[in-house]
Amino acid sequence: MKKLYILLLAAIAFTFGSCNKETATTQTDVMNRMLTNKNWYLDYSITGTSTKSYVGQSTYFVTYLKDGTTKDSDGLTGTYSVEVIGDQSQIHVQLKTANGNPLEVIYNIISVGGSNLVLSKVVTTGTPTQLYFTSK
Amino acid sequence: MRATRSFSNKCLLLFSILSIAASSLTAQTLTKKQQDSAYLLNPSQERIRKIKKSLAKKFVNFVGNDVSLFGALALSKQNINDNGVTAPINYVYNTVNNNTFNTGYSGGFRIDGIYKEKHRYAFSFAINRISVGNNYKNKYSLSPFIEDFTHFKADNNFTTLSIAAHYKKLLPVNAMNKYKFYAVFGPSFDYKISRISNEQLINGAGNRAIINGDLGAEFDNKGYYILYAHYKLGANLFQSTVPVQLNRFEIGMSIKAKDLF
Repeated sequence: MKKLYILLLAAIAFTFGSCNKETATTQTDVMNRMLTNKNWYLDYSITGTSTKSYVGQSTYFVTYLKDGTTKDSDGLTGTYSVEVIGDQSQIHVQLKTANGNPLEVIYNIISVGGSNLVLSKVVTTGTPTQLYFTSK
Repeated sequence: MRATRSFSNKCLLLFSILSIAASSLTAQTLTKKQQDSAYLLNPSQERIRKIKKSLAKKFVNFVGNDVSLFGALALSKQNINDNGVTAPINYVYNTVNNNTFNTGYSGGFRIDGIYKEKHRYAFSFAINRISVGNNYKNKYSLSPFIEDFTHFKADNNFTTLSIAAHYKKLLPVNAMNKYKFYAVFGPSFDYKISRISNEQLINGAGNRAIINGDLGAEFDNKGYYILYAHYKLGANLFQSTVPVQLNRFEIGMSIKAKDLF
């Protein structure tokens, strides 16, 4: 009978212990799924109090592909990775300029969804620019 | 030619019947070892007998236990508070919000009895397929985006195993020797056994355990069957970044197992 109680207690402990199965990659998996294989069209850019609207215009777009590569409408190509550093989600983009020089750009992800994306370009000096994209 | 074929078919049939009969006869013949063990105590059977005896001693006040099988239709809706989610994820509010009761189902068995010949109770064990309408309490927006969004997307289909302990209060309605009406209340516990999506696991929101308070009414038709309607108000058993309030209406029927089998 004692053995039965121990087994029962072990089963209860196992059941409650396995309540949460969030892994370190859960958040990046979800964000990657929302980000990839879409053309993200720039609708607005906001720097401080200055808002520029590109709605209805033939404008800049960027694509993040599932294989970890990225390209934009300006012809820039490179690789990217989605990372969560502390509480901040970021896109790290490694680009090659037209001259073939490597360039790293980091964006803080303000919000990412199935059809809306808001990024803030990380800058060392000055006011960061927020970029508002929609996928069409 | 036809007569020869018919004769061979009959022979085949006869042979098949004889072989089946022979095999059944051999199955009934016990080996020496089986004959010996029939006279000896079977350790596992003995253990079960002892457990039954010990349970009967402990639960001596729980009498008149009837096992019934039940099936129910469940209408469910959950209210979701995603204030605690910090992940920068957005879901367009109108595409994920569905403030209605969706239909699921559940089935299982229950044990009805009387404690100390006074207090009626029912213990039930069920498996539930819950289809739920999700009502998100919070809307967010990011100017200059117009659309409202939420930070969190809850699963709207999941499976749970549940146990419930209900107290049944006999109501003085109509001819109580024929039809019995009960008011029912008590706690129940659900544990999600289906896979939780990554969207629901964000920020540790994927809580599997739900504790409910149940309230309902039951109609017992001369012991032939019970019709019941229960309301269950549930919440996460453990603290979560996304507190969920699960509302369920269950309408079901239970029939005594001995009447079915």
